[in-house]
Amino acid sequence: MSVAEFAETELPPDVVVGDVPRKRSHTRRWAFLGMVPFAAFITIFLLIPTGEIIVGAFRTVNGAFTLSNIRDIFQAPYPAAFEFSVELSALSALIGGIFGFLLANAILHHGVPRWIRPAYISFSGMAANFAGVPLAFAYGATLGSLGVVTVLLKHLGLNLYPTFSLQGLCGAALVYAYFQFPLMILLMVPVIEGLRTEWRESASNLGASAFTFWRHIGLPIITPSLLGLMVLLFGNALSAYATAEALGISNLVTIDIAELVDGNMALDPQDAYALALGMIVIIFVTITIYSLLQRRTSRWLR
Amino acid sequence: MAQVTVSVDRPGSHRLRRARSRVPVWHLLWVVLGALFFLVPIYSVVQFSLQGILPHQNEFHWYLTVFDDPNFRSAFWLSLQISLETVAASLVLMVPTVFWVHLRLPGLRPVMDLVSVLPFVVPPIVLIVGLAPFIKSLSIWLFVRPEVLSLIYVVFALPFMYRALDAGLRAIDLRTLTEAAESLGASLPRTLFRVIIPNLRAAIIGGSLLAVAISMGEFTVASLMGFGTFAVYTFNIGMSTAYEGVALTFISFLLVWGIMLGLYLLGRGGASAAGVAITDEKK
Amino acid sequence: MTTVALRGISRRFGNVDALDHLDLEVRDAEFVSLLGPSGCGKTTALRIVAGFEWPDSGEVLVDGQDVLGKPANKRNMGMVFQAYSLFPNMTAQQNVEFGLRVRKQSREVRAKRAQELLELVGLATAMSRYPRQLSGGQQQRVALARSLAIEPSVLLLDEPLSALDAKVRVQLREEVRRIQSELGITTLYVTHDQEEALSISDRVAVMSAGRVEQFGTPAEIYSGPRTAFVANFVGTMNKLEGKVVSRADRVVRCGPILLNVPDPTFNHAAGETVDLFLRPEDITLELLSNGEKPPSGMFEGRVTSLTFLGPVTRVGLATDLGLLLADVSSAVALNLAADTVVAVKLDSTSLRSIIA
Repeated sequence: MSVAEFAETELPPDVVVGDVPRKRSHTRRWAFLGMVPFAAFITIFLLIPTGEIIVGAFRTVNGAFTLSNIRDIFQAPYPAAFEFSVELSALSALIGGIFGFLLANAILHHGVPRWIRPAYISFSGMAANFAGVPLAFAYGATLGSLGVVTVLLKHLGLNLYPTFSLQGLCGAALVYAYFQFPLMILLMVPVIEGLRTEWRESASNLGASAFTFWRHIGLPIITPSLLGLMVLLFGNALSAYATAEALGISNLVTIDIAELVDGNMALDPQDAYALALGMIVIIFVTITIYSLLQRRTSRWLR
Repeated sequence: MAQVTVSVDRPGSHRLRRARSRVPVWHLLWVVLGALFFLVPIYSVVQFSLQGILPHQNEFHWYLTVFDDPNFRSAFWLSLQISLETVAASLVLMVPTVFWVHLRLPGLRPVMDLVSVLPFVVPPIVLIVGLAPFIKSLSIWLFVRPEVLSLIYVVFALPFMYRALDAGLRAIDLRTLTEAAESLGASLPRTLFRVIIPNLRAAIIGGSLLAVAISMGEFTVASLMGFGTFAVYTFNIGMSTAYEGVALTFISFLLVWGIMLGLYLLGRGGASAAGVAITDEKK
Repeated sequence: MTTVALRGISRRFGNVDALDHLDLEVRDAEFVSLLGPSGCGKTTALRIVAGFEWPDSGEVLVDGQDVLGKPANKRNMGMVFQAYSLFPNMTAQQNVEFGLRVRKQSREVRAKRAQELLELVGLATAMSRYPRQLSGGQQQRVALARSLAIEPSVLLLDEPLSALDAKVRVQLREEVRRIQSELGITTLYVTHDQEEALSISDRVAVMSAGRVEQFGTPAEIYSGPRTAFVANFVGTMNKLEGKVVSRADRVVRCGPILLNVPDPTFNHAAGETVDLFLRPEDITLELLSNGEKPPSGMFEGRVTSLTFLGPVTRVGLATDLGLLLADVSSAVALNLAADTVVAVKLDSTSLRSIIA
């Protein structure tokens, strides 16, 4: 047909004219355009704020460069806050790690009723979302000075208060554990499942007891993963704010940051940037350690 | 050498003999302890919220008080609004992006995996420090709207939304479906809307439910920015009236529980839901 | 001296009988294979002997002693799994030493024994390698060495070669057999590969649906199948349906042809319907020139298919007895083409009869 006739021909609908294969480099470049919205969003809402923090940590209120903010966080009251934050996070991570592992192992055991596993997994999904205000109040209702369990223990002759406090190390760690356990269980289950039954059975066949198996094979293989997850739990606890605020804890890094942002503290508000930067650094380190340790374990579980 | 032993075949005798050693006491102990640890606080909440009631009052007095409070309704409504906006913004941003990466830029997958972990490195309390100047400049120009909160929540929901969509896209053979659609003449946007998204229903709903859970429960940013969301309201009430605060806590539990139930049912009927979607299309 | 006996072993999973009153007796130093399709219960039976599963009823006797009361780690049996059983965090040497370590043997004793066994399986050079650095075949050799290190009274192997390449499989099975006879260990070997079972076993138990269909030497199983299942599962069989004409003369009528069945076990009454089984290699063909009638004792057949199998060619024949498969040497088969008419002769001494 002639060019004119061709031009007159009606194209079928939905054929995008010009959608012919281009040279490879062209297509790649155009393809990256599709990432613009996402990249823009991440930049505005994540990268720029992070940049602000990094820059702001070294700036005075007027914009001049200074190291005073960094110096400030080593002076009262911050070191105590750091100390308590680290203690609380470490303790809840330890409890969460050990008991989370025991729980994950228990629900996966072949002798345990089948329905327990999905029950725990779904509850863990829920419990991980309770963190924050509702959790703190729930524990207030449980172990607070008028809490249900407190009253029960008093009837049995055990007086929790005044030694115990939900704002103290043990009390707060217990509250934190409520969202640390589920996280540990959810993340630990795939790791334990990675331990092939053949290894367990071979060990048994060769005469090993359950203890021997764990000692020589099981634990050596999953310990890196266990440690990595505990490190992750540490970072998770460190970032917690809502739960601590609702519990009424006052000497925590996150609480201090909030106070500074609100302008409630009679200290240099620029310190908030330094504290925030410190937190970013710590959490960044924990996540790096976590992924390195995870990689060690997956090497054997493949 | 051993003598020949003739044993009478008693059915089930072996099971009985080993019944004791086969019950994993150690593991069951932990299961029970764990269950206690998780359930006691919930029981305490229920118990507590039904306490402190004067004889002439209804046993659900605190709940009724809460429901009667107009602030409760406005706070709940505000949170709901924000949640829906978060979901909408999240989907509009993430679905095309993850689709695009899977289809055209698979080399960016590791980068996306990394980016999806970033919100954990910059937790809410830290993010708000970095956002403060931005918010301050915004409030000079315009009254700070809840929509800003929604956009921030999109960041918090990002890891979960990404993982859900990523898993969903990996489960369907994206390449084949897209090529089939294109060979039939469909443009890329049409393919995305008519072919891919209906097949991602389960993943989309799953990610959305998680986003709702996060938005409804978020406290840190909302309180520091001065919004009266549900979590902030709960906090304020709880700080003054313990009983009402605990009643609100139970309501929060029910809310999260409902969302998780929705997720679970979705997972069970996931295949059938997708199937219904496809047959609907055909009609 | 170790004998193994399974008596009346039954095991139910849900509403499926995985094992149905299984009986099996293994003699000292004997190599017995459990052969059958997937789901026949062979692995379940093995795992019951090992102690990883328990039967609902029945007993397992080792040297006359019931072992069901003992947990798996006290039975002193060696087990080789299908794959992935080597401990990934230990070298080959450490893997082999593990059983001895559990038994609190000294370092020197362990090292010496590990060296011995790894040499036995031909992997002395790989002692300090980790499982992920070994090939599939090498891993299975180490697994074998590991199970032998504890000097077990019984050796159990669960499809140990299924996950390996064909060539490696043939090589390794010979080695397994060689080592087993050298050491004289009573062995139970599970496989679905009949060639494997027939080539290395002293006796084979063919299993189906939780029962032993036939238990005998490879030759007995192959040439003298006693049930239709065994006949069909082991090798290729031609099946001829017929009616018994005379019990005394052992004559069966299949279609228009009368067949003499010299099988001494033939004991069917006249009028009964029987299935006769014949291997393809027991059928001979002769070429016929155009229009020639087949000589006496032979009948006509028309070639319908030719399948080249290497040394032999499998010829499909349409005959009055139905469709038959005959194996002829490939050289002879060159003279055949579709629709060629040939004379067919059955080696009636190889006919086996089973009640239909």
